[in-house]
Amino acid sequence: MSEVRLAAEPRTQFGKGAARRTRRDGKIPAVLYGHGSDPKHLALPAIEFARVVRENGQNAILRLDIDNKSELALTKTVTTHPIKNYIEHVDLLLVQRGEKVTVDVPVVLTGEAQPGTLITQDATVLSVEVEALHIPEQFEVSVQDVEAGTQILASDVTLPPGSELLTDPETLIVAVNQAPTAEDMEAGVDVPEGTEPPAPAVEDEAEGQSES
Amino acid sequence: MLIPRKVRHRKQHHPKRGGAAKGGTRVTFGEFGIQALTPAYVTNRQIESARIAINRHIRRGGKVWINIFPDRPLTKKPAETRMGSGKGSPEHWIANVKPGRVMFELSFPNEAVAREALTRAIHKLPMKCRIVTREGGDF
Repeated sequence: MSEVRLAAEPRTQFGKGAARRTRRDGKIPAVLYGHGSDPKHLALPAIEFARVVRENGQNAILRLDIDNKSELALTKTVTTHPIKNYIEHVDLLLVQRGEKVTVDVPVVLTGEAQPGTLITQDATVLSVEVEALHIPEQFEVSVQDVEAGTQILASDVTLPPGSELLTDPETLIVAVNQAPTAEDMEAGVDVPEGTEPPAPAVEDEAEGQSES
Repeated sequence: MLIPRKVRHRKQHHPKRGGAAKGGTRVTFGEFGIQALTPAYVTNRQIESARIAINRHIRRGGKVWINIFPDRPLTKKPAETRMGSGKGSPEHWIANVKPGRVMFELSFPNEAVAREALTRAIHKLPMKCRIVTREGGDF
């Protein structure tokens, strides 16, 4: 994965008021730390950073220009607003050339399974240890013409050379099952439709009695 | 219908409705989901009704996940009763849903059918909702 150059400004004011002012100015409050150095508080351009995440994924290596100095960084956490979906804050990790880092790489399914099957993707990311400048964008898992009953495990995914799988190799990535019938879909969760479920047991019976 | 197997107290205070969801705001199991945009108490009947609406529309070949559970009892006094004389009897089982929470998830190969199924389910729910996708998590 190539480096993406991004201009960052140091932040001098902290707290929610200053963070909100930063966001109003079209920037994202961020913090850069790692390798035992003191954390640096930064402001990243919101539109440019969102474009980087959209196009290169969250594992993009950033070359930050801070006060005429250049730093290599990896995105560790992106905090987003639960409804409005904008980036509220970013945690950045300092990395060095040749250093190995632990990252979560997305798993993407390709192809079409056999008709009458239901594909369930259990794990969407795989945790791998890889050199910082050679992080794969995604792992592709083909489900082309896979039969019902097939399970694809983490150990079945082909990793690029120099990377090590940290996720348990027995982790289920994709399960291909027989598609449920209309009758299966109609069946209720616990109690058939139209019947009233029994009242739950009260753990503290004495207290339950006294309340009623 | 969803209901707790065992509860510590038969009658509880009303849960707080303020704030936004702290977790469960992304589609993680299926490909499409229903996200709450306003707070609401969702009863087990509404959850079941929405689940049936989805299943009846997709018929077969899909999978539905329900990410909320109605674990809180809500009491109600009988009609035309004077105030006092203690708290009413448990009437509903509710899930306290905050804005941003993805309540239902669906995995289905045809996007148009999946969206229609989720739209029908939204009509059964007591709050404003929107359909979100797993890829739609990008900014």
